[in-house]
Amino acid sequence: MKYNLSTLLATTAIGSCLALSAFAQEVTVVMAPNEVGATSYNPVASSMQPVGTYLIYDRLIAKDENLAYVPQLAESWVEADDGMAWTFTLKPGVTFHNGTPFAAQTVVDWLALYPGTENAYLFDAVERAEVVSELEVRFVMKRPDPNLLYNLSTVFASIPDPAAYAEAGEDYGVFDAVGTGPFRLESFEIGQQTVLVRNDDYAWGPGAATGKPAKIERLTLREIAESSTAFLELKTGGVDMLLNVPTDFVGEVEGASDLSVLQLAGQDLVYMPMNVTQAPFDDIKVREGVAFAINQQEILDAVFGGMGKAADGFLISSLPESKIADEFRISYNPERANKALEDAGWVMGTDGVRTKDGARLSVKLWTQSDSFFRRLSEVVQAQMKAVGVEAELVTFDSAAIRDQYKTGAHQVAVRSYLWDNADILEWFFSATRPFYPNVSMLDDPKAETLKDAAMTGAKNSAEREAAFVAYHEYINSQFPYAPIYEPVQIIGYNAERLVMPEVLHAPRFNTLGFLELDVKE
Amino acid sequence: MLGYVIRRILMLVPVFFAVSVVIFSMIHMLPGDPIENLLRVGSSPAQREALTAKYGLDRPLVEQYLLWMGNVLTGDLGTAIVQRRPVAQLVAQALPYSLTLGGLALCFSTVLGVVVGTIAASWRGSWLDQGLMGGVLFGSMLPNFWIGLLMILVFSVSLGWTPVSGARGWESLVLPVLTIGLGGTALVARVTRIAMIDTQGKDFVLLLHAKGVHPLTIQVRHVLRHALIPVVTILALRIGWILGGAVTVEVVFARPGLGSLLIKSLNQHDYPVVQASLLILAMAVMLGTLMGDLLQAAMDPRFRDSLT
Repeated sequence: MKYNLSTLLATTAIGSCLALSAFAQEVTVVMAPNEVGATSYNPVASSMQPVGTYLIYDRLIAKDENLAYVPQLAESWVEADDGMAWTFTLKPGVTFHNGTPFAAQTVVDWLALYPGTENAYLFDAVERAEVVSELEVRFVMKRPDPNLLYNLSTVFASIPDPAAYAEAGEDYGVFDAVGTGPFRLESFEIGQQTVLVRNDDYAWGPGAATGKPAKIERLTLREIAESSTAFLELKTGGVDMLLNVPTDFVGEVEGASDLSVLQLAGQDLVYMPMNVTQAPFDDIKVREGVAFAINQQEILDAVFGGMGKAADGFLISSLPESKIADEFRISYNPERANKALEDAGWVMGTDGVRTKDGARLSVKLWTQSDSFFRRLSEVVQAQMKAVGVEAELVTFDSAAIRDQYKTGAHQVAVRSYLWDNADILEWFFSATRPFYPNVSMLDDPKAETLKDAAMTGAKNSAEREAAFVAYHEYINSQFPYAPIYEPVQIIGYNAERLVMPEVLHAPRFNTLGFLELDVKE
Repeated sequence: MLGYVIRRILMLVPVFFAVSVVIFSMIHMLPGDPIENLLRVGSSPAQREALTAKYGLDRPLVEQYLLWMGNVLTGDLGTAIVQRRPVAQLVAQALPYSLTLGGLALCFSTVLGVVVGTIAASWRGSWLDQGLMGGVLFGSMLPNFWIGLLMILVFSVSLGWTPVSGARGWESLVLPVLTIGLGGTALVARVTRIAMIDTQGKDFVLLLHAKGVHPLTIQVRHVLRHALIPVVTILALRIGWILGGAVTVEVVFARPGLGSLLIKSLNQHDYPVVQASLLILAMAVMLGTLMGDLLQAAMDPRFRDSLT
């Protein structure tokens, strides 16, 4: 009887340990709010893909923390001197979650899935892909595309098993998704959560990966749009990590004994476009005056508690194309701001507002209804007032403001973008995209020439970088915007439960981050 | 009675088409279009035109409406442009959550509202009457968003009794149901109270008192029964609210639902989803009104007699 009781106790203890161990391998994470509501894990034919896509699938190329390209499924690659061909050597031994081997023919079949989809533009410059050997594939180009590596590294270039893709048809990515990534899709409930389980065969991680499977066994990605709710889930232990902590909650997270924050370089930029077709911003001197009136450092310190960077150009600072000559950087300079406004004929009035021919220098500053933009715009409003520009805040719903820009009635606005490639310059300043996205309404022949050279004129990445630097510098010389702020990505996590990677060799917390994430014993 | 039912159903047909025209026109009059949400940095103006043509948005509005309505009448709600799923599938996924949450909240607010209204009417003019009615009125004035967060702080964070958010298991329904239900209680309580006070003055009630019937029996078996007729009508009218009126609560508690689907699709200008969701809500209101009328006819002999 005694023996039986001991056995029972031992069995119970072992069982409990096993249960705890199983529990310890599970992590629940709240996705960033802008990823809430994705309806499938189909990277080929969808316009929005959440973080789970980075985990279910791999791409040929990945990026490290400096936005340099590193191998993922492609071990190495060579660009032809004339830019008309790229040859990729693939990693051996890679298999999809269903056991299908990944080889050169897979890449050929995968590329054939894109024509006719919204993401076809990624491979516009590719004429065809052809198999060189079992592990070598060549992209034959219609024209040189130095941006090809970037396109191959985006989430929309994630590689599903072409056979599984064809078999599932329109339902691909909803009930089943077959990739080569570090996690397999177990379940996906639209608008609620995605459950992923570890791919135990995974040995081909990107860049600095160890070549081992993920440490955690099971990952639940929850969709919570409301920041307060997400924070309370973290606080009560309902979830282990928030992939995006709004600035408002950082103090709360840091103040909790069991919680901590991880900061990564941001990929978004806050700026103030000025409509060059609307008075008074049709005068370059007024634009210059207002651009140099914005005190980026004060905004960084006062509004964002020092987290992030003061922006001085249009591109995020991790991009090489952001390294422009000092004379083209736009940073707070009240003397220059006042002088430019004086040169434009606007004289400071006794009430602190400039006037010209009896008219006051009064503008409407458009902003969005989110507290982030409201707070920021109030500071910008005060900074403009300091140089004699009276700005009236006009607030629009965040979802509706883009359509308001299409009326062309805006003068100046506070807005932001999220992008990690220099081609964002073309998106926001090309004369072919007036109203929106070219909110500044810039239509300048020299800018267009520089844009064409940067977008399609370069044969290799060095040429492209130089062309974009020139384009960036010229745009800044016309002051169609004022740079404001470069936010950081802030991840909140339960420090008593999770072990975060010591150094993350990736620009965002996705494939590599979740591969190295561990749970404390 | 059968003639009345058929007449009422036939009246819904022109209303349905009128509502569909209003919905379609309003959505297409809004600035912006769904293609904007499909384009990303790097896509060209030519690609925009190709996508516009692909989804038929370059056709005349009348043609687009006829195409949509023709498909709806054959049971095809179309495919979401931005969300890339069949609309029927998106709605079918959201609807059970809305029905469960809205249905339970309606039950909760009805039971609580009728009880509060009955007690208030029975002690009309007393401190109990004023306290209860003041309390439910105050509760209904508080925004759902605020009540929801307050409930999370009390019941989830401080007491740890319920999960903060989600839609898994009955525990996750408690706080959302309470949040929505408390908001609807005031209306039911007010209508119940007024109807009961009105009924209490009727001759048949005085007669029952004169016959010596116990006051509690009079209140519950006779007065409340009569007073419930307007309450039932109001409940039937609130069916549309059940389905689409819980947007803020769905957001706070991170629950899927028709309201959230509608708002998300509106923000994305995903026309097929918005049109289908609004049409379903409009049909729910129409059917609710019909049900209210039929229930009133069934419950109120005077109404029935007037039909003949």
